[in-house]
Amino acid sequence: MQNAYLPDLAEIASIRDETYDTRTFGLRFVDPARWEAFQYRPGQFVEVSVFGVGEAPFCLASPRDGTDTFEVTVRSAGSVTDALHGLKVGDQLGVRGPLGNGFPFDEVKGRDILFVGGGIGLPPLRPLIWDMLSNRGDFGKMTVLYGARTPGDLVYKDDLERWRGRDDVDFMVTVDVGDETWTGNVGVVGTLFPKAEISPETTAAFVCGPPIMIRFVVRDLLSMGFAEEDIYTTLERHMRCGVGKCNHCLIGDKYVCKDGPVFSYRQMKTMMDPG
Amino acid sequence: MSQPAAYVITRSRLAEWVGQLLKQAQVIAPRTVHGGDTAYDVVEDPSQVAWDYSSSINPLKRFLFPQTEELLRWRRPGSNGLQLEPTYDETDRIFLAVRPCDVSGVLFLDRVFSREPEDIYYMTRRQHSALVSLTCGEPGEDCFCVCADAGPFLESGYDLQLTKLSDDYLVEVGTEKGRSLIAPAEHLFAGAPDELIRARRDIEKDVDDRFEEHKAYFAAALRKVTFDRVPDELWDGMADRCLECGGCSFVCPTCTCFLVADWPEGENGHRERLWDSCLYSCYTLEASGHNPRAQRRDRVKARFFHKLSYQFAKELEAHGCVGCGRCITACLGSNDMPTVTARIRRGAI
Ligand SMILES: Cc1cc2nc3c(=O)[nH]c(=O)nc-3n(C[C@H](O)[C@H](O)[C@H](O)COP(=O)(O)OP(=O)(O)OC[C@H]3O[C@@H](n4cnc5c(N)ncnc54)[C@H](O)[C@@H]3O)c2cc1C
Ligand code: SF4
Ligand code: FES
Repeated sequence: MQNAYLPDLAEIASIRDETYDTRTFGLRFVDPARWEAFQYRPGQFVEVSVFGVGEAPFCLASPRDGTDTFEVTVRSAGSVTDALHGLKVGDQLGVRGPLGNGFPFDEVKGRDILFVGGGIGLPPLRPLIWDMLSNRGDFGKMTVLYGARTPGDLVYKDDLERWRGRDDVDFMVTVDVGDETWTGNVGVVGTLFPKAEISPETTAAFVCGPPIMIRFVVRDLLSMGFAEEDIYTTLERHMRCGVGKCNHCLIGDKYVCKDGPVFSYRQMKTMMDPG
Repeated sequence: MSQPAAYVITRSRLAEWVGQLLKQAQVIAPRTVHGGDTAYDVVEDPSQVAWDYSSSINPLKRFLFPQTEELLRWRRPGSNGLQLEPTYDETDRIFLAVRPCDVSGVLFLDRVFSREPEDIYYMTRRQHSALVSLTCGEPGEDCFCVCADAGPFLESGYDLQLTKLSDDYLVEVGTEKGRSLIAPAEHLFAGAPDELIRARRDIEKDVDDRFEEHKAYFAAALRKVTFDRVPDELWDGMADRCLECGGCSFVCPTCTCFLVADWPEGENGHRERLWDSCLYSCYTLEASGHNPRAQRRDRVKARFFHKLSYQFAKELEAHGCVGCGRCITACLGSNDMPTVTARIRRGAI
């Protein structure tokens, strides 16, 4: 019997500042054999332990590529996330995963793809975007729309430049509030929809961000004519075990950690959420 | 020669048998505790077993899924290096003279913790335990196991099932593990004659008649909760009575919510899980301050959805109540199972 609560040790291989409160950590398993078994799909997540402080869930933020590391992007928000920000390259921590279901991939081959990310909602989409770009021929038109509060809140600036430079993706960024150097779009991410060419009948949409942003974006997409089952999003819930035992993440009879965190809007609508 | 499916042991020999069991394993049995209550607890001497008790103030939960349970230890032997070591409890335990509702509670926990991925901590304790049930002859004041299909006799699930006859106890063997509890003291037992097994059926029928009171209206509640047909005002009314003490969750044999916490000890330390309650306001609170169940009404609703809905009953092969009646005692706001199901059926507080 495997121990679903026992983390594997990993060490911090790299640290990159994304914004004033967000950092991306490259992690490498101490036991190289563990990496072989660590096959994940975008949309899945890991529970990261800082021993002595606790454990918290983070989505897998990098595609599984030729390296032996994977990334998580962490916004400093409380005890575990703050402690993570205090660690340095070479420090060890615990990792459990991959957990959760992940985004559909083969199921949406041949379709146009729309990504809508808000703020810290880009990390779960990032590996999916890269995986689809690596299999570019399998998908139709690709559009990436990304919004953040201010220019200082934009994450993955290197990726943003690379996506902007490609002619096989339609890429747009907006901020709610600009600053003196900002010359781009200003407004919530939904204001980009009229500027993008999107055909709702042929497109699958992937939407990640804060709950309020998801609500508005889904409303917009539905009114544009998107089918409920063509809109995918990730749900965030307070989690403890990540494996469907502690009950913290329950919505009705669905465990966000096990049945999710990825749900189609059609599924979400039928989920009895008492709150 | 085939071995008997049931035995008899006279009351006067029970102590000797328990003495044998005490040599094999830790024995947990009903025991008279402070103030005259009865509680399942570790016994060190056969005389401590309260054979004639009505019910125990606590279920067996804490012995298989303790209120605080160590999951692992970490050590930092070198500069950066960490070592992890899981902590398993492999103590052999015999749960003796346990009421059928509480055996049913354990069987419910078995299903919760054996679902994929299996919970190795629970499963390890469980594999090292034996269940000796004691059927009920008299309904306790708050009991409604009959409504919950969890007693007063069990069809299966026990290793041994004892039934009190006039001077003897009938001992039904449920499993090989059960048989192994008899083997070292076989001279104390006699094979049960057929008429005794027939007598046990008569007792069961007789007891069933006495348990016939309808205490909990599960059918209506199951349907209404499943289809979300309970008016919000009713949940509001129950929320107003909830003190968020978590007592109902802690005394309940089927409640399993937990949280996880780290306890550093210098460079080393350990990780524990602790019982939690879905009624606490911070249960779903996220670091951002967002709380999907900020209202107490939604938490009361979530609790009873988990216990009563068909969705969960299907998954766990039973709804989350064994009719032990402990929440009747625990809840100061009378949000106990019989009262809540009655309110849901009536549609009024
Ligand atoms: C599936 C999933 C993926 C996530 N991915 C990311 C990510 O890529 N980057 C990122 O910065 N954040 C992500 N989060 C949110 C992140 O998990 C929380 O910010 C983090 O748990 C806060 O922990 P803390 O100890 O710092 O805060 P505290 O407020 O001290 O929280 C204590 C504990 O409560 C629980 N908890 C509190 N808030 C949350 C929450 N929002 N979600 C889950 N558990 C919570 C955790 O068990 C945490 O350890 C994700 C959450 C989920 C559910
Ligand atoms: S809900 Fe109440 S009566 Fe039912 S098993 Fe739990 S504590 Fe016992
Ligand atoms: S996080 Fe524990 S059940 Fe989902």
